[in-house]
Amino acid sequence: MDIQFPRQQHHLTDEQFTELLLGTHSPSVRAHLAACPQCSQEADRVSGAISSFQQQSHLWAEHRALGARPVRANDPRQVFPWLQRPQAWTAAALAILLGAGIGVSWHADHAKRLQDPVAIAAPAAPVPPSTLKADNDLLSAIDGELSAEDSTAAGAYGLNTAARAVRTRSPKRMAN
Amino acid sequence: MQLALNPDIIGCVTGEPTLTELDDIAALDRVYRARLLRFVAYSLGDQDVAETIVQDCLLKAYNGRHSFRGDCGVYTWLAHIATNLVRDHQRNRKLQFWRRVQKTAPDLSELSGLLPTRDSSAESQMLAHERAQQVASALESLSTNQRTIFLMRFIEEMDLQEICEATGMQISTVKTHLHRAVKAVRLKLGGGA
Repeated sequence: MDIQFPRQQHHLTDEQFTELLLGTHSPSVRAHLAACPQCSQEADRVSGAISSFQQQSHLWAEHRALGARPVRANDPRQVFPWLQRPQAWTAAALAILLGAGIGVSWHADHAKRLQDPVAIAAPAAPVPPSTLKADNDLLSAIDGELSAEDSTAAGAYGLNTAARAVRTRSPKRMAN
Repeated sequence: MQLALNPDIIGCVTGEPTLTELDDIAALDRVYRARLLRFVAYSLGDQDVAETIVQDCLLKAYNGRHSFRGDCGVYTWLAHIATNLVRDHQRNRKLQFWRRVQKTAPDLSELSGLLPTRDSSAESQMLAHERAQQVASALESLSTNQRTIFLMRFIEEMDLQEICEATGMQISTVKTHLHRAVKAVRLKLGGGA
């Protein structure tokens, strides 16, 4: 007849299980394993899984190491450690792309403006005739005031008449 | 990294230097690269960063080979340097976003076709592969220390004393981390009381 233990003592504890995996388990653990198929199966399953992981990770590492560049004593990457960081290369590539993008954009805009001189010379909007007339009247009035106050040296030599004639014609030219 | 090259920290008593394979960087690379790569890749979960760290580790070991006194194994010494480099990498949180974006975990499935077929059916191979993936998945849920110690003990097959030398931890601390890691893996594999 089997001796009945409380459930917690019926199977291996975590500590006993760790000792079993480490190979430092006590004889009582060995005796329990012999009597308990559940613990025995679990021990086999866990140790088998760890063994599979070890085997596969070993293969992975061997395979990966084959393609690696052998390390050299005077490796330049020791002098410039940032060279081996992908982030540095990504940042540099982004900076170059950004700079090139800004340059191309500015150049395209500048070339477009040069090819379209009308766009630069053309007035923003046509001036209505009423505004033009009001401006001409204002200029004529200013001319009149200036002529009346003209006391420069030109007046003393009789040059005011010619100047006045030119000023009186100028509003008509603006209207054209 | 001064810490990684100081033999006193890893329990190597000062004595006559025993320079062996450490003098030949090509041999160092050939013998230890794959093993270090496996350890670092599964510690970090990033195979690309692992390659960089392994390069650094081998170079640091070669450049600091005169500090090695030979009182611990070469791999234990290399594992100590690698562990410190992994810690440094994880502490440097400046580029966490990039790390998350670019992280490329080792993929065991790409090698499932290379597994030995002797004494094993396709079904048992698939089962073994599935179990290995479950262990890999369980490792991701562990803390850095638990993962490092689990890998050292069960994958690199280092004994507890070597793990203490490589990590600089007390044996009781190592056992505690190991116990928690085994518990997590056991649960992941569907066991546990």
